[in-house]
Amino acid sequence: MRRNTLTFILILLVIGFATWLILPLQGERLGRQGMRLGLDLVGGVHLVYEAQFPEGATAEEKAQDMERALNTISRRIDKYGVTDPIIQQLGADRILVQLPGFTDIEAAKSLVEQTGFLEFRSVELDADGQPVYLSNYLSDNRTEFFDRSEAGSRVFVARRDIPDRKIKKDNPVVFIVKEGGRLKFTDETGDPIDTAWLKDYASEMPSWIPARGNSGVQLTGGYLTEAIPTVAQQVTGPDYQVSIKWNDEGSIIFDQIAKRLYNSGAYGTPQRALGIFLDNKLISDPQIQEPAYNGSAVITGGFTQAEVTELANLLSSGALPMPLKKPPLYQEKVSATLGASFIEMSLKAGIIGLLLVMLFMIAYYRLPGLMASIALLFYAVLVLALFKMIPVTLNLAGLGGFIVSLGMAVDANVLIFERMKEEFRAGRTLGAAIEAGFNRAWSAIRDSNVTTILACLILYWLGSSIVASAAVMGFALTLTIGVLVSMLTAITVTRTLLRLFVGTRLAKKTRLFNVV
Amino acid sequence: MFNIAGKRFWYFLISGAVILAGIISLVVFGLKPGIEFTSGSMLTMSFKQPVDSSQLKQEVFRLGYTNAIIQSTGQEQFLIRTGELSSEQKTLLEAALTDKFGPASETEFYSVSPLVATETARNAAIAVAVAAIGMLLYVTWAFRKMPRPFRYGTCAVIALLHDVLIAMGVFSILSAILGWEINLMFITGMLAILGYSINATVVIFDRIRENLKLGVSADFETVVNESLVQTLGRSLNTSLTTIITVLALMFFVGASIQNFVVVFMIGLVAGTFSSICIAPTLLIVWDKKEWGRFLPWLPLRRAQA
Repeated sequence: MRRNTLTFILILLVIGFATWLILPLQGERLGRQGMRLGLDLVGGVHLVYEAQFPEGATAEEKAQDMERALNTISRRIDKYGVTDPIIQQLGADRILVQLPGFTDIEAAKSLVEQTGFLEFRSVELDADGQPVYLSNYLSDNRTEFFDRSEAGSRVFVARRDIPDRKIKKDNPVVFIVKEGGRLKFTDETGDPIDTAWLKDYASEMPSWIPARGNSGVQLTGGYLTEAIPTVAQQVTGPDYQVSIKWNDEGSIIFDQIAKRLYNSGAYGTPQRALGIFLDNKLISDPQIQEPAYNGSAVITGGFTQAEVTELANLLSSGALPMPLKKPPLYQEKVSATLGASFIEMSLKAGIIGLLLVMLFMIAYYRLPGLMASIALLFYAVLVLALFKMIPVTLNLAGLGGFIVSLGMAVDANVLIFERMKEEFRAGRTLGAAIEAGFNRAWSAIRDSNVTTILACLILYWLGSSIVASAAVMGFALTLTIGVLVSMLTAITVTRTLLRLFVGTRLAKKTRLFNVV
Repeated sequence: MFNIAGKRFWYFLISGAVILAGIISLVVFGLKPGIEFTSGSMLTMSFKQPVDSSQLKQEVFRLGYTNAIIQSTGQEQFLIRTGELSSEQKTLLEAALTDKFGPASETEFYSVSPLVATETARNAAIAVAVAAIGMLLYVTWAFRKMPRPFRYGTCAVIALLHDVLIAMGVFSILSAILGWEINLMFITGMLAILGYSINATVVIFDRIRENLKLGVSADFETVVNESLVQTLGRSLNTSLTTIITVLALMFFVGASIQNFVVVFMIGLVAGTFSSICIAPTLLIVWDKKEWGRFLPWLPLRRAQA
């Protein structure tokens, strides 16, 4: 009996500790955090992307690129101040991005999706040093570039909006690449396109070729060390710009290009312009005003304040090593208000469910039922404490699993009490019947709970193997924890509580045990 | 003493009838797969002003989404389901709708690509199959000290498939009437049934195991029946407490996990029935080699035809 009292005290201590642990349930109080809530409960955006690797990339290269991509995306999101974002690799080529509390899904997508590949281009010149336009390429069936020394792709961007084709100003219209001894007109993804409609616009679109240093290296965003948004006060109002700094190598290449362009034509001619391209979109084509810049420059282009902030963020977080497939494989967005109402509804369901189960247990099993009800309360507290300690991210399905488990957690007690009744009817004393009830019900409790856990493990595997998975995994995890904890509370706690009564006057009143 | 086991052929008849109705519904109506399994986009919009459902439908159709499905999911709140939308398409659609019906906010948006949808459907099927095989092996192993443990495993899994079939069939009837689609919550509910149903069966099998060891009777049917009577209180009470919490979920949380709650509820009833009336009595049928009684009038009918 002494040992039982000790166990009882131990149980009280554990419960006390667990209760302290779970408070506060929500929000923050006294410097302690509430439960970790899933995206569907707090609102937010959940995206899964597939990376598009260049053909022939080895597994090792892919793994490296994935790591760099995750870092780049993390840096971009960090600057947006999202709390607890999750950026994870799924499988070999997928990236999961979860932004709790951030509900602007389009902004989130553009933040993640932009490759952020910054490159510099200059206008192609023909043999006479005159700028080449798309119309020159379209006019005769050429098989060669005008500037044969440059083998890279030519980009042509719209100089004004083209509403019929849904192309906005400065966006790429057509690319020319050389393939198999012929020139090929393609779109951004490399598919051939129809050139007939381009005639009306061709004479205004210059041919942009990669701007290279004297050694043949193209100038890209990879040579940047710094990009910060700045503002210059002009007579016309504030001019938002991005100030950039080159590293030593980039500084040399930049000055070599600047010198060449400076000497190629008069101020204001196309050949004097340096095209700054972000993901093939022309963001600015300033005129080169000096033959040397010594490592720093500004990007101007009539930007808004928000645009320079985003551009600077993109440039300083670096380019993605590979593009991501659009649209994402999976997108989910839940508004914060919807999430809040889910929490409220689940709370109601949980409390009502709990009370009804307790009511039933007490009405049917009397005193043991009351003990089981107390054990059930302990169960709820312990499980919530575990959720917080592990920590388990609770989503709607997880909460559902927890609430259902309240009904299933008394199963072990039901098994034991039914057994107790039988043993008592078979002529044992109440104390002996209680002990026999617990001992004999054990094999059924053990074998039956293993099956539930087995089903949960398979569910968890399913959850981890598919993309839209958070709900399934949350349910499986909460139910598994529930089953394990219920075995502890329904057996240890109920038994200890009941033993406290054995030998007292209460135990003589068999009516209290509803065993007759 | 009740005679539960003796009425086994009635149980088989009841189950058979329900399963048959379910299968007919599955063949005729099928299960409508949600976007998780077929790909597409699902957009929930809350309008500030009253919106007429049929006008909304017309407008969405006019915008070119002739396959769109539109459901009212609450006050001035509508769910619009279309094929996979690109960012631009979604922006245009939302702009067009707010132009026509006044300001609205986007409360939920889901979009699933075909690749992911195929993967999800395949893995969900694998999960259910693996779970069934896992249960068969586990029950066989748990009863390894009994003569012919494989029979316990097989009967438990037949009861399981019985529950799954009933849940699918009844859900198919409901979805034919109410237009429900199956989603991941449906699969989650299905797997929860697998765990629950076997759990209940194992408790009864455990009692049979114990009573056989005690030598309660030489007649297997008497042993099974006695075990059923002894565990009846437990079987019903546990189902009842679980039903209480599932009902609480259904009433208070409702729509978002409706699929889970409904499937689990059907499965709970089917599982309680099968763990008492199907799995243990199948053991008797197997023991007594009564398989012939399943089809007593079948040859007769054939002769008539």
